[in-house]
Amino acid sequence: MYNIFTIARRTIIQLARDRRTLALIIIVPLVIASLVGVSLPSKQMLNTLLPALLATLILFFGFLLSGIAFLRERAQGTRERLLASPVSRLDIVVGYLLGFLLFAMVQTLILFFYAVYVLKVDFNGVLWQIIVFQLLIGILAVCLGIFISAFAKNEFQMVQFIPLLIVPQIFVCGVIFSVDQMPDYLQWLAKFLPLTYAVDGIRALMLNGKGLMDIGKEIGVLAAYAIGLMILAGISLRRGNAT
Amino acid sequence: MSDAAIIVNNLTFNYGYLKVIDDISLETPRGISFGLLGSNGAGKTTLIRLMVGLLKPAGGSILCLGKPPSPANARNIGYMPQLPSLYTELTVEQNIDFFARIYGLRDRQARSARVNDVIKLIDLVPKRKTQVIKLSGGMKQRVSLGCAIVHQPPLLFLDEPTVGLDPELRVRFWEHFESLTRAGNTLVISSHTMDDAAHCQQLAFMREGKIIALGSPAELRAATGKPDASLEDAFLYFIRRGEVQANV
Repeated sequence: MYNIFTIARRTIIQLARDRRTLALIIIVPLVIASLVGVSLPSKQMLNTLLPALLATLILFFGFLLSGIAFLRERAQGTRERLLASPVSRLDIVVGYLLGFLLFAMVQTLILFFYAVYVLKVDFNGVLWQIIVFQLLIGILAVCLGIFISAFAKNEFQMVQFIPLLIVPQIFVCGVIFSVDQMPDYLQWLAKFLPLTYAVDGIRALMLNGKGLMDIGKEIGVLAAYAIGLMILAGISLRRGNAT
Repeated sequence: MSDAAIIVNNLTFNYGYLKVIDDISLETPRGISFGLLGSNGAGKTTLIRLMVGLLKPAGGSILCLGKPPSPANARNIGYMPQLPSLYTELTVEQNIDFFARIYGLRDRQARSARVNDVIKLIDLVPKRKTQVIKLSGGMKQRVSLGCAIVHQPPLLFLDEPTVGLDPELRVRFWEHFESLTRAGNTLVISSHTMDDAAHCQQLAFMREGKIIALGSPAELRAATGKPDASLEDAFLYFIRRGEVQANV
């Protein structure tokens, strides 16, 4: 546990010292939410879109920040130094998770309060349950970022994975358009994408008055994705395999 | 426990079809500075990365302080990679403190005292609160050395530690390396400069993934048969001898 907290602590200090990135993590979601808030013609559309935005942004930022942070670890040689030290791969992955999840939670809370109290999105749920569900999406996103960073040689290549892995999910998983109205093959595809379950789950928690116990399927699928990606992230950090 | 700090037997490693380490065997006594000398691409860095466990050998075996490379044995080993390999957003103190923590210095007071000692040793007291990104190349090298020695490992791997250092700093680094070996620690240092080689107690000349000569600087110079031969002469002598043998 000590090593996990040491790595989490370092990740937090590192991000906190990068003031510009920190400001962007907080300001960008608010700008996007404001644009959505003023551009949508009806309250009903706002109610549908903003909870989905909450889930999408945590996936997006979790993936991007952890992916680039890991890439930098590799490029500046600190990954090599860590892998030559007594820390285990699990320490590294979980340490990163804890560090990034703190920022993901701050982002979620700011966006949540902005959506509910400023943009007046309907809220019919329990805040702590939303935080728990968002944490699950955050774990998935950070592990996805760590795993995918193994396939990128630089930041430019890492960013190219966003249109490949994140943007299609925004269109296919019901963030903007309802999955039911899509062609059959896209509906079939949506069943395999984690954002579908993230969006369904967060809407159920925020709008439909449902609790975590009522969205067992969504939690189960996201947890399976998170565990699978955590294992893949661990494999990508294998000692004796440093390049 | 064996007296050898490192025992390497018939070690091989390939990058694809390219043989980077070609059947290397060596044994290093404890408490000495052991130099790996060779030109760029000779396999020095790959050999060090194999010995610290970052790469898996294609064949052969490695024992560091009697054990194969593993995270469990890593606490006894210090590693300074070729690149400074530091968290550039963090300060000098935060970098050294981080590596002190992950190498097991858990007691806050003892860790703080050790971090202070290391910062004094690398002569960066005025810069302790400065972010690494704002430091010069030589200062980053010093912080990197600090991170590698903070847990006082009995076996230390230093991959080209003096590259980019000014002559004054190079002398100071070597003074410190010599104080570490006097205290019984073993140092493995890779370099391509004869100046570094002259400081080592034992040397391995490397070329194309092989060790072409092994011995003390005096023994290697004497092997040339010329009384005034320099280490550079000795290095060239072994390269030419290898070429002649290959052509026979």
